[in-house]
Amino acid sequence: MEASSSQQDFDYLLKLLLIGDSGVGKSSLLLSFTSDAFEDLSPTIGVDFKIKHVTVNGKKLKLAIWDTAGQERFRTLTSSYYRGAQGIIMVYDVTRRETFTNLSEIWAREIDLYSTNPDCIKMLVGNKVDKESDRAVSKKEGIDFARQYGCLFLECSAKTRVNVEQCFEELILKILETPSLLAEGSIGVKRNIFKQAPPESSATSSCC
Amino acid sequence: MATTSFLSPTQRYGAGALFALALHQAQMHQTRPLGMLDPDGEDDGPGEERPSSGSSSDSVSEDPDLWVHENSGLLLPVFRFLDIDKVAWLGLEETAGSSPAKHHVGAFLRLLAEDTSVNSSESSDQQLALSKAIDSLTLSMETNPASSKSKKEKHQEYENECREKLSTNEAKVNSEATVTMPETSSTSNIESPSPDLTCAFEEEPVEEVKMLSYERKLAVLYELLTACLADIRDNDKKSARRRKGYDARHRVALRLLATWLDINWVKMEAIEMMVACSAMAVAKEKEKEEESQSPKSSWAKWKRGGIIGAAALTGGALLAITGGLAAPAIAAGLSALAPTLGTLIPVIGASGFAAVASAAGTVAGSVAVAASFGAAGAGLTGTKMARRIGSVDEFEFKAIGENQNQGRLAVEILVSGFVFDEEDFVRPWEGQSDNLERYAIQWESKNLISVSTAIQDWLTSRIAMELMKQGAMMTVLSTLLTALAWPAALLAATDFIDSKWTIALDRSEKAGKLLAEVLRKGLHGNRPVTLIGFSLGARVIFKCLEVLAETEHTAEFVERVVLLGAPISIQDENWKAARKMVAGRFVNAYSTNDWTLGFAFRASMFSKGLAGIQPADFPGIENVNVTELIEGHSSYLWATHDILDRLELDTYYPTFRIPPPRNSENSSSKKSP
Repeated sequence: MEASSSQQDFDYLLKLLLIGDSGVGKSSLLLSFTSDAFEDLSPTIGVDFKIKHVTVNGKKLKLAIWDTAGQERFRTLTSSYYRGAQGIIMVYDVTRRETFTNLSEIWAREIDLYSTNPDCIKMLVGNKVDKESDRAVSKKEGIDFARQYGCLFLECSAKTRVNVEQCFEELILKILETPSLLAEGSIGVKRNIFKQAPPESSATSSCC
Repeated sequence: MATTSFLSPTQRYGAGALFALALHQAQMHQTRPLGMLDPDGEDDGPGEERPSSGSSSDSVSEDPDLWVHENSGLLLPVFRFLDIDKVAWLGLEETAGSSPAKHHVGAFLRLLAEDTSVNSSESSDQQLALSKAIDSLTLSMETNPASSKSKKEKHQEYENECREKLSTNEAKVNSEATVTMPETSSTSNIESPSPDLTCAFEEEPVEEVKMLSYERKLAVLYELLTACLADIRDNDKKSARRRKGYDARHRVALRLLATWLDINWVKMEAIEMMVACSAMAVAKEKEKEEESQSPKSSWAKWKRGGIIGAAALTGGALLAITGGLAAPAIAAGLSALAPTLGTLIPVIGASGFAAVASAAGTVAGSVAVAASFGAAGAGLTGTKMARRIGSVDEFEFKAIGENQNQGRLAVEILVSGFVFDEEDFVRPWEGQSDNLERYAIQWESKNLISVSTAIQDWLTSRIAMELMKQGAMMTVLSTLLTALAWPAALLAATDFIDSKWTIALDRSEKAGKLLAEVLRKGLHGNRPVTLIGFSLGARVIFKCLEVLAETEHTAEFVERVVLLGAPISIQDENWKAARKMVAGRFVNAYSTNDWTLGFAFRASMFSKGLAGIQPADFPGIENVNVTELIEGHSSYLWATHDILDRLELDTYYPTFRIPPPRNSENSSSKKSP
């Protein structure tokens, strides 16, 4: 998973967030992306967190990806994770219609309510296209929703890994095109903060 | 083991998350105490960054110095005890470490409040029973007014005795000096932030707290404390925490959490006693079983635990077994609740521990807990046998108050340093009402009495009095600066004092080493320690912290420190390393008109600074100006009591109730630069 732990250096740190109904495959999508694996996962408890280093357009990126629980009882928790996210991935299950309709009724509203970053990039992802025969939401509907809501759109399958990489890549590319996002969450800002208080941090390291 | 909990799995998840948040915040507050952040306190400011160990890492897993990092061994055992699913651990760790806590605390509190999914009626009955038990134990712990009154009288008596003994004009001179020092006394407001200045968020309960029932809050704290003590860890983990017991950092985190939950700390102390008792009960059972099987091995374990003497060993073992349960006060407190407790202790105490212990495949967890509490009394009082270790002539713990061996889960060690009589080691600390197990150290009484007396005599000599009167218009610092032109006769007399003072300084360092050794060996029972000392006693404590810093990396033992009138150089000493050894508050109380200190330390004071007469400006040190309360160095003998009351050590955030100005002229005249 953290194959790139040696990579200390990176240009930007990006915070991404996965949201959507329970059982749509958020965790599977993340697992598929970070470790090329697919397995049956039990429902996420609260929040999960994964790190992945990628290089996009010659930029070294460190992705901090927060995977939230879709279950109703944890909904109260997820609100605090929208803060500072540069990219939000809304996931639905193409074989379960209600997970799609809940997007506009619940999840899009949550974003409006809790996201602190007006420029943050949103992405709509329809998962489980490997079950084409059970499809309950057409691609056209997905595209329409995405257009109406102003977000990126892709259909993918965490199981077959179709479009999984692309999901994240498109989102990242879009973030990289948005200067305000990079200025806010990038590591450059963080370094400045440490420069403001260098005696402290250097001293703590020297005395231990 | 999930069935033995008061809380549903989701609630335990929420509790674990809150504990993780509190733990991380506590570490941040080590260097940036609450209320000392930048005043706007707005989010994402520098004050909200994690306490970086120099690397600008962005996730907890990359910074092993963090308390929430798995290496610290502080968080994961708690999660394990709470039976939180392993897959959720990383998310919680990161949540605690990555972002400002205030955004999450409310959400997790709501999670705690809202979830009513599982066996709600049964568990709420249990929660109610638990809270009732805690309440009545709290009541029994609160001293009745009559006895506290007599304590006050006794303390007054002591103060009068001291004043008589030291009857000097020093007091008068110095009070004159205070009046003319507006520049120093007026700054006290800034240096010690009043409660309303402290960060609004953490002090005021978060809105969501109101949604939580009182019973559930107590249940959360109870479970968390049990989890902290149960101490089950993976054997294969590279945990940096080698000792079992109650970690000071855990206690600080719980203190913050209790503040968030708006629960009075005394309730938490009651919870501590209850957990201690149920742990002891379990350990007693285990001990019986083990003894019947292999008496030798259990003795070997005790021996490994204590290095000191045979006396300490036997005492410790016996106490661990009969321990807190035998203590009459607890028995009285608990027997009143017998009906509820009968069901209670089995529910969370005994079976909880037993289940966990067997789940971990070892009984070590629960036994270690009991061993660590019970052995303490004998461990500390038996320490006098070890004084030869440190080439100190005398080093002895004296029990103070009635809290010994009653299952108190926190220890206070008090060190006097300016004494005229052997009783001055103990009496300044008597009558303080708190719920800690308290010990005073009597050390080097011959040397200390002689140097204290010599200094006092010198101060009261006519010629010195004259000098001080001349200097009364200035602070100690400026006076001593001008006094470079002191009369030769006066200076000659100081040689005598200086040599005594040098010896005393040296001994205080050795005593500090010895104290560090005591803590490191766990003779205090691996419980969080509060260290308070004045004068050379403060130096003992500081040296102890410095010695600890040589081998330890974090604040495992020491929860709080108060230094009063400390003869410690500001520039020469490693304050930052010392600070790192203290999990909670670190107070430096100074007095700008402390002549004794200024005189004794005059040689290096101008260049190096002196903690006892000026603030030590290091991150995380609470500097408190007590000039108004102190007439001279000897005042610490009786004024310490009052100062400690004003510090409200049981409060999580820095606080000091500012005394009313002694003289109204104080604020009228302003110093011109």
